[in-house]
Amino acid sequence: MKTAPNIARVLGLPIATGITMCVVWHVAVTSGGVPQYLLPAPTEVARKLITSLPELLGHAAISGLEAVASFLLATALGFAGAVALVYAPLLREIFYPSIVGFQLIPKVALAPLFIVWLGTDSVSRIAFATFLSFFPVLISTMTGLQNADPNAVRLSRSLTASEWQTFVSVRIPFSLPYFFSATKVAATLAVTGIVVAEFITANAGLGFLILSSTPRMETLTIFAAILMLCFVGLLLYGAVSLLERAGRRWFKGA
Amino acid sequence: MSGTARKRLSRLLGARRVVAPLVFLLALFIVWETWLHYLPMSRAVIAPPSAIFATLVNGFPILMKHTLSTLIEIVQGFLLAAVVGIAIGALITISTWTRQAFYPNIVFFQLIPKVAVAPLFVLWLGVGTPSRVAFAVFMAFFAIAIATATGLENTKLETIRLCRSLTASHWQTFTKVRFPFAMPHIFAGLKVGMAMAMIGIIVGEFVTGQEGLGYVIMFASSAGESAPLYAALLLLAALGLALYSCVLLAELAVQRWYGAPFVSEGFA
Repeated sequence: MKTAPNIARVLGLPIATGITMCVVWHVAVTSGGVPQYLLPAPTEVARKLITSLPELLGHAAISGLEAVASFLLATALGFAGAVALVYAPLLREIFYPSIVGFQLIPKVALAPLFIVWLGTDSVSRIAFATFLSFFPVLISTMTGLQNADPNAVRLSRSLTASEWQTFVSVRIPFSLPYFFSATKVAATLAVTGIVVAEFITANAGLGFLILSSTPRMETLTIFAAILMLCFVGLLLYGAVSLLERAGRRWFKGA
Repeated sequence: MSGTARKRLSRLLGARRVVAPLVFLLALFIVWETWLHYLPMSRAVIAPPSAIFATLVNGFPILMKHTLSTLIEIVQGFLLAAVVGIAIGALITISTWTRQAFYPNIVFFQLIPKVAVAPLFVLWLGVGTPSRVAFAVFMAFFAIAIATATGLENTKLETIRLCRSLTASHWQTFTKVRFPFAMPHIFAGLKVGMAMAMIGIIVGEFVTGQEGLGYVIMFASSAGESAPLYAALLLLAALGLALYSCVLLAELAVQRWYGAPFVSEGFA
């Protein structure tokens, strides 16, 4: 009885807020006489999004694929790195302070370095985005692997499980929540990394489209491209969230 | 193994925690320097540590000018974002209605790649300091607002009930109970906010290309001179560590002020 109106409120209110903001934006722009190159009306942005959809999709495909590639690389490398650092104490002692120190410096500043090292094609952009999204995965997974319930680890030892068996059936399930919360951060960072790299060097992609439209004052294109980028980001985030659900269910069932 | 030998071994292992990373860094620098000494590579790609150090010393006045510009803009952006973020976080938790109406929208904004909006700020505010600071505020305040709202929501129900039964006003409950209780969350948000403000200023400097360490990095990389690039990166790292330590110190001070020990989480 009580849940139905609650769900309507929980879902309806934020959507209503969003729509109200768009209406206010529209009225303010159309009646206030704001020039289009400063702030286009939302209806015009929507029309632009539809009319130049093929072009936008082309750019979105480039940025999206690069973001997905760097996300996959970052999660794979981050997970492998975490396992290596957890199982090799000497490596951990050597690298862990540097890794934590690295977290404190603004890593986006290194973007031009990747272009100097790897050139101006998508390799350098993917490498930079991977680099950006790798650290949260590494650190969180390490925390997760180390925080596995000691009782469960002891139990599996007393049941003469091998180190590998303990790893697969105890440590990995315990680390999954940490791993998945980090992959969500990594998904956002991968898209951010690709956009920043496209700002610096690209001749295609949504970041390139946004930056190259700026001097020409094509604000409509900028807004449409930003909207498209939001879709790409949310798509990636949504996919990761779905995978998280599947992963958690899998390990609960096993 | 005898007792003393074991003690010595454990002391050695304790020292290893400090020594191992330092030895690693030192070895890295030595290998880096000698490698480039015997096998020279393009100056555009990598510079030996000695050249980077020389750039730091010789170009000190110019580098300091850009460092100062970056530092001031980051601090401005961060402080503004802190004020705006905490205010918005407090405003949306005034009632359940406002929270339900605004909180999901702010979280939604946190998920999209905000950095893409940088060129719009250039369009609106030009290529000077205002557009970079405004962009940094835009980047940073979401995390602070979300953390503040979360903290204010998570105040223990019993304490609020106690306040009500002691006939405390809403404002008194807020300043005496809910706000102090939210402090650990707020500081966790401020730490993320500081990182975001730094990203905002640097990306802003990349895009506007007027002044600051981000500009030095861009300029050096396109000029094929890597020594200034690495020097600027080093300065930025020092800046990042210093600013992060400032937030930590502020947290300690606030902790002492409220007389309650708490720890907030570090960077996400």
